[in-house]
Amino acid sequence: MDTTTPPKPDDARRQRSANLRTALVFASIAVVFFVGIITTKWMGGPTIGIGVMGVAVLVFLVFAIGRNVRK
Amino acid sequence: MSSIPHDHAAAHGEGPDGHAHHPTGIMRWITTTNHKDIGTMYLWFSFTMFIVGGCMALTIRAELFQPGLQVVNPEFFNSMTTLHGLIMVFGALMPGAVGFANWMIPMQIGAPDMAFARMNNWSFWLLPPAAILLVGSLFVPGGAAAAGWTMYPPLTIQAGMGMDFTIFAVHIMGASSIMGSINIITTILNLRAPGMTLMKMPLFCWTWLITAYLLIAVMPVLAGAVTMLLTDRHFGTTFFNAAGGGDPVLFQHVFWFFGHPEVYIIILPAFGIVSEIIPTFSRKPLFGYASMVYAVAAIAILSFIVWAHHMFTTGLPTAGILFYMYATMLIAIPTGVKVFNWLATMWKGSLTFEAPMLFAIGFLFLFTLGGFTGLVCAIQPIDVQIQDTYYVVAHFHYVMVAGTLFAFFGGTYYWLPKWCGRMYDAKLAEAHFWLSFVFFNVTFFPMHFLGLAGMPRRVPDYAQQFADWNMVASIGSFGFGFTQLLFFYIVVKAIRSGAKAPAKPWEGATTLEWTVPSPAPYHTFETPPFVK
Repeated sequence: MDTTTPPKPDDARRQRSANLRTALVFASIAVVFFVGIITTKWMGGPTIGIGVMGVAVLVFLVFAIGRNVRK
Repeated sequence: MSSIPHDHAAAHGEGPDGHAHHPTGIMRWITTTNHKDIGTMYLWFSFTMFIVGGCMALTIRAELFQPGLQVVNPEFFNSMTTLHGLIMVFGALMPGAVGFANWMIPMQIGAPDMAFARMNNWSFWLLPPAAILLVGSLFVPGGAAAAGWTMYPPLTIQAGMGMDFTIFAVHIMGASSIMGSINIITTILNLRAPGMTLMKMPLFCWTWLITAYLLIAVMPVLAGAVTMLLTDRHFGTTFFNAAGGGDPVLFQHVFWFFGHPEVYIIILPAFGIVSEIIPTFSRKPLFGYASMVYAVAAIAILSFIVWAHHMFTTGLPTAGILFYMYATMLIAIPTGVKVFNWLATMWKGSLTFEAPMLFAIGFLFLFTLGGFTGLVCAIQPIDVQIQDTYYVVAHFHYVMVAGTLFAFFGGTYYWLPKWCGRMYDAKLAEAHFWLSFVFFNVTFFPMHFLGLAGMPRRVPDYAQQFADWNMVASIGSFGFGFTQLLFFYIVVKAIRSGAKAPAKPWEGATTLEWTVPSPAPYHTFETPPFVK
């Protein structure tokens, strides 16, 4: 990118949408974890609940970090 | 790393102080969406809470100065231990790390600001009400929460109104942390300058990126746990109430699923700060950059599968004990990689020992000691002996105080010239380090002996046999506490009357923030730099 050229309005709009998409993905993860932990406890089976949450976290981390490192 | 420099003040029509087009006075701070202003507020808030939590620590140590003393009554003592923990973790250390992130991440990746500037403002302004709830809980009927920062039921189900204040404070601080994390991840993933690939980012940004992932994964779990606690207290559920078929140990599982990654949430940004300071004052690039990144990621992933090592005495099955014991020991491998790389960075470097470097080396030495005692605690047969003794108190203070807090002091001395455009009194800063180092060890090293001799934690009185080392620890704690007033004086003196700082006061510094003038202009990198 030429450093003397300020970003175009189109670029700014695209940037904002990309930011919003990223934020919504992470916000939804937070909501799922919050609701998920209460629901698993409500339905019983603490070992299963914790296990499922643990695996979900690991898969999520491996996927998220791996995907970005490749870039 | 090199970049095409850019005259920021001229480009944005700013005056020589770099400030223009924003409200002044109190409204500047209330309405600001500028990452530097918000970073400054986070750092001052963190320091304020550090002093509040520190006063509580001194109350604890005053009570424990001699056996038989009753400086405060036992219920108040329990509230002090509880609030000290909560305030230091959620009010001082985490906001301090977010303050560094706000100031430095946009400047280090060449971004004009955080991705969500208004949300950034909101993230900060949620914190003061939460702090007021926590401290204010001391004044409600029944007093503040007194069940320890871990909030274990059944005690917390029976506690008074102060517990509700604590639960709401945790909810608010959790929301603030989640918003801050989303902001940091989005900023790093989407707003990096052209040429700034992920593997070119300064390590501080990497550690924060991974920390933010951790926060998003575990803060909702804590919020869920305290929500269940709240419904158990007021809405007739029995998640954790054995009388209604619930399980109090379940809370411990959920809490430590949050609580262990939380340790890394607090220490990883400190790793990042130290990884900036050591190469600068060694005048060498960081040794093994890629392995440092992978080590941080490995620590973060492992942090999710070790939580039950906090619960070795709750009656876990043998297979569980073995799994958690070995998984915990595995963390020593990536941590060892990091310590090795910091030492290798210093090896044959042109070392100088300015205050940031002193704190970084102090961090390295003492954090490693804290790590070793962590390994001792990880061995289950030993852990059942030292569970809930002062050995554990010594261990986690070596990690939290000599680890994170020392890194924060080092980071402040490292970046203060960039923040305020003035140099601090170097001699006083060195004195601050040595006094902190000595008093820290006088306070916490004897706690290893106390713990091994069997002194339980969270007790307002103790047997005569523990008297001597408790007196030493109390003297050290007051020395350490008053030394931090020197830190406040050094910072204020630098801001008010320090010598003018050049754009790059440290000749070995290479990251992007040192290409802008000091103090950093109000707006930086509105036109992104190109990173080669």
